[in-house]
Amino acid sequence: MDLISILIVVAKVAFVLIVVLHFGALMTWAERKQAALIQDRIGPNRINILGVKALGLIQIMADGLKMIMKEDFIPAGAHRLYHTLAPAIAMFPALVALAVVPFGPSFDVAGRHIELQVANLDVGILFVLAVSSLGVYGIALAGWASNNKYSLLGTVRATAQMISYEIPMGLAIIGIVMTYGTLEMNKIVELQGEYFRLGGLPILPKWGIFYQPLGFVLLFTALIAETKRTPFDLPEGESELVAGFNVEYSGMKWGMFFLGEFASIVVVSALVATLYFGGWQIPYVNLMALPALPRVLLGVATFFGKVIVLCWLQLLVRWTLPRFRYDQLMHLGWKRLMPLAIANLPLTAAWIWMLGGMKS
Amino acid sequence: MPGSVITVRRDQAETLLARIYLWEIVKGCVITARHFWRNLIGYMIGRRRTFVVNWPEEKVGYSPAFRGMPVLVQMENGAERCVACGLCEKACPTDCITIFPEEVGDGIQRRPKVFDIAIDRCMFCGLCEEACPEEAIVMSRRVEVASITKEGCLWHKEDLLTPASELPIRLGHIRNGYDRSPN
Repeated sequence: MDLISILIVVAKVAFVLIVVLHFGALMTWAERKQAALIQDRIGPNRINILGVKALGLIQIMADGLKMIMKEDFIPAGAHRLYHTLAPAIAMFPALVALAVVPFGPSFDVAGRHIELQVANLDVGILFVLAVSSLGVYGIALAGWASNNKYSLLGTVRATAQMISYEIPMGLAIIGIVMTYGTLEMNKIVELQGEYFRLGGLPILPKWGIFYQPLGFVLLFTALIAETKRTPFDLPEGESELVAGFNVEYSGMKWGMFFLGEFASIVVVSALVATLYFGGWQIPYVNLMALPALPRVLLGVATFFGKVIVLCWLQLLVRWTLPRFRYDQLMHLGWKRLMPLAIANLPLTAAWIWMLGGMKS
Repeated sequence: MPGSVITVRRDQAETLLARIYLWEIVKGCVITARHFWRNLIGYMIGRRRTFVVNWPEEKVGYSPAFRGMPVLVQMENGAERCVACGLCEKACPTDCITIFPEEVGDGIQRRPKVFDIAIDRCMFCGLCEEACPEEAIVMSRRVEVASITKEGCLWHKEDLLTPASELPIRLGHIRNGYDRSPN
């Protein structure tokens, strides 16, 4: 590996990291504004710098400043190391999971083939599943190290919930893996550029959502449950547990939990866009035939456009549904989603067998 | 958005569609999305349709029965209508009115020498207005009276005097028997 390849990798890492963090920060604003509009309110619009309000976007800076200035409090009896470590571990999976998601088409420049993906792993999907499961450690550590019963209750709920919903999540993803016959995210996106043809005419792009509508619903539900947001926000249910696992946190440590939560919304959107909505592919437009610069710009813009739409959808669901009761949550996870996810597998197999297999 | 009345039959078993729940979620999301887009487009074309207003730049209209802070009615010759009878002082549940009378001219008429309202104690009940035989103290439409000092909350006679021409809605409301029609 020469210096330039290393620089390219560093640049890609920096790009993904900056995008996720900025998206995460923007989501705090987007959530408030969207909630306000849904509830016929106006939302944050007072904070300004020299009269520039920018639709309330300055609120993000004010929030950040506030959280950094606040006292970082560690309660008596708390485990100092784990209490400090937990927010970092909770935030880590959201930042790392995007490493395997291709955010644009590949291109050749100066004799180098550059793929717009931080790490083109052969087992990209497994990596995402593995990393997203790590999120539970941050929560478990936070609740246990806080030395607070409400924190611990929140943690117990969070762990039970995340473990329960990991199973339908994995099973739903197997449907996609069976359909496209690969674990590589890059390949999956490439294959979604093809079309269902009727008499030679392209009718529908071969997107995951058209192959796996049931799988999409299952995965989306399970992923929303993984982000621990309403209607699955039992771990933090304000009205029951004060604030759940993060009740003993203040300042930027608390902020990191929330930045991680918002970043994980972005990760969920990116994952669903990649697996079910063709990633950076634009239907009926062959991006690979375009010259490098417009191809990359269009591809990246398309991908992030899809991510934004899916983020919007998640916020919409969050402001539409009330919180589940705990037994309803477990009922949904184990007795509804899991059997459906298992039933999805033979259905997918039959479908592939009927089409004569995906392999060319 | 005016809603239509939907009758919920709780004695009926839920349909299969309702029990699957997904369709119900979609229906709920459509409602919230409709509000979202309606308000967003309202913003963009400059015809906002949210209920919340940007106070204090924007104000909402108050009804004639609205009770703001009590003020003293000023006649056209500049004098107050108040004759310092003290009924409002007696009627006030929070004891926020302080009156010291003085005699005017030939000693038959009286007027308040001091008429203070401690607005931080006033609860805007309007009993002073109802007690007043002279229509001299009425509830205005003024509510933005906050102050950060105790002195700023003490309103003297000269602050409270308001020309009758500025209080047409409230005076009309009182003269109409508080808008209770006689029949």
